[in-house]
Amino acid sequence: MSDTLKIFILFIAATVLHWTFMTIFGGVGISLNVMLVFACAVCAFMKPQYGYPAAFVCGLFLDFFGVKLFGNNALTFTLCACMVYGLEKRLDFEAPVPQMLGVFGISVFAVLFNVALLKIFTGFSAWTGFWPFVAGTVLNALLAPAVFWAVRRTCCKEKNS
Amino acid sequence: MQKKSSRKKNTSPSGSNRVLPAVFILLSVLLMILPLESPVMSAKALLSYIFVPQIRAAHGAVEYADGVNNVVRALLDTHRENERLKEEMAQLRLENAQAREVFLENERLSAALHLQSPRIWGGIWAKTAYREPTQWNSVVIDKGTLEGVEERAAVIAQKDGQPVLAGVVLEAQEHTAKVLLLRDEDFAAAVYASPSGEEGLLVGAGAADMKMQYLPFLSDIEEGEKVYTSSSSGLFPAGILVGEVTKVGDEEGLHSSLTARVEPAADASAIRELFVLTKPTEKKK
Repeated sequence: MSDTLKIFILFIAATVLHWTFMTIFGGVGISLNVMLVFACAVCAFMKPQYGYPAAFVCGLFLDFFGVKLFGNNALTFTLCACMVYGLEKRLDFEAPVPQMLGVFGISVFAVLFNVALLKIFTGFSAWTGFWPFVAGTVLNALLAPAVFWAVRRTCCKEKNS
Repeated sequence: MQKKSSRKKNTSPSGSNRVLPAVFILLSVLLMILPLESPVMSAKALLSYIFVPQIRAAHGAVEYADGVNNVVRALLDTHRENERLKEEMAQLRLENAQAREVFLENERLSAALHLQSPRIWGGIWAKTAYREPTQWNSVVIDKGTLEGVEERAAVIAQKDGQPVLAGVVLEAQEHTAKVLLLRDEDFAAAVYASPSGEEGLLVGAGAADMKMQYLPFLSDIEEGEKVYTSSSSGLFPAGILVGEVTKVGDEEGLHSSLTARVEPAADASAIRELFVLTKPTEKKK
């Protein structure tokens, strides 16, 4: 199976997971961003030819469900992809702890950058509060090993052997 | 790290690797700043439809998770209820054994006094098969003559675990039967009120409470008394709860007797399962 198809299948699974978690945690104001974790995982294990488009599409997916601004998530996710490719020489994304640390840092950046973009372009404040922000980023970090494992197992199986 | 390097190829900075992020960043910025409201809205609408199955799947997953939780809770509740029912059954078995002794004693005494032998209730359970949406005066049940249902047989319902009179079989077909409920104006039964002991004829009165007629003017009957089927009734076994007295007297016009209003215990709109009495069996000595 081609890598593009594998990434597409994982993307579909990630969207379902994203909406599931959004439904569960949305009620308490926590936004767990599975798409961001998935984009980071793809970038961590795949070539940039796959990673950047995947991150862009993941961001665009979220943009299609936004109402205030279009393209902000695509830009944020693309920058996050740049960060993952920049961090891969410093962090070993094979191990769970670097995965969690990397995703935590990137999640913090993504939330703050997104809030800033919305404030600049629309004047709308998307800041939901400190504790929901912390909870969301920590949950993203906790989810990272599972998502990274799934992406690595699916997309890099034949390359491991 | 060896694995990693073998897995990822061409990760070293090259022309294409610098161009790709730049292109996507530029594209994102353009999407944000260009006046693309109309095409973006159209694309949003289109893609929303594409992603609807995934959103539904996500909601389905959440609902399923909720469902599992509820099922587990229901199972635990059922287990507790099962334990309670087992204890209740054991208690009832004991009471049944005592009642059997009392029944046999009663039978012996009845025989000694040359009274009619006591009758034992027997019958079959039936479910409501059809009900007129606009009328609550009769129901059709899913048992008929082939199952032993006969015309003019008493029909009993359950309310809070207690048998209450529901009506009488009006017509019986092979596999179905029509039950005339208490509120129907054609329904009539001999009843008595407890504790006053006053006997009267109970008749249906449509949507209003039933009438307990032919009570003596100097009757001691009061509101709140329970009404049971009387042993003088030819159709119904004695002692079945019928309802409760809600009002005594105040009938317009001249009457030679007192009339009380009785609210039926069986709720016609909630009747689901019914017990149809079959021919009483005579206990032999």
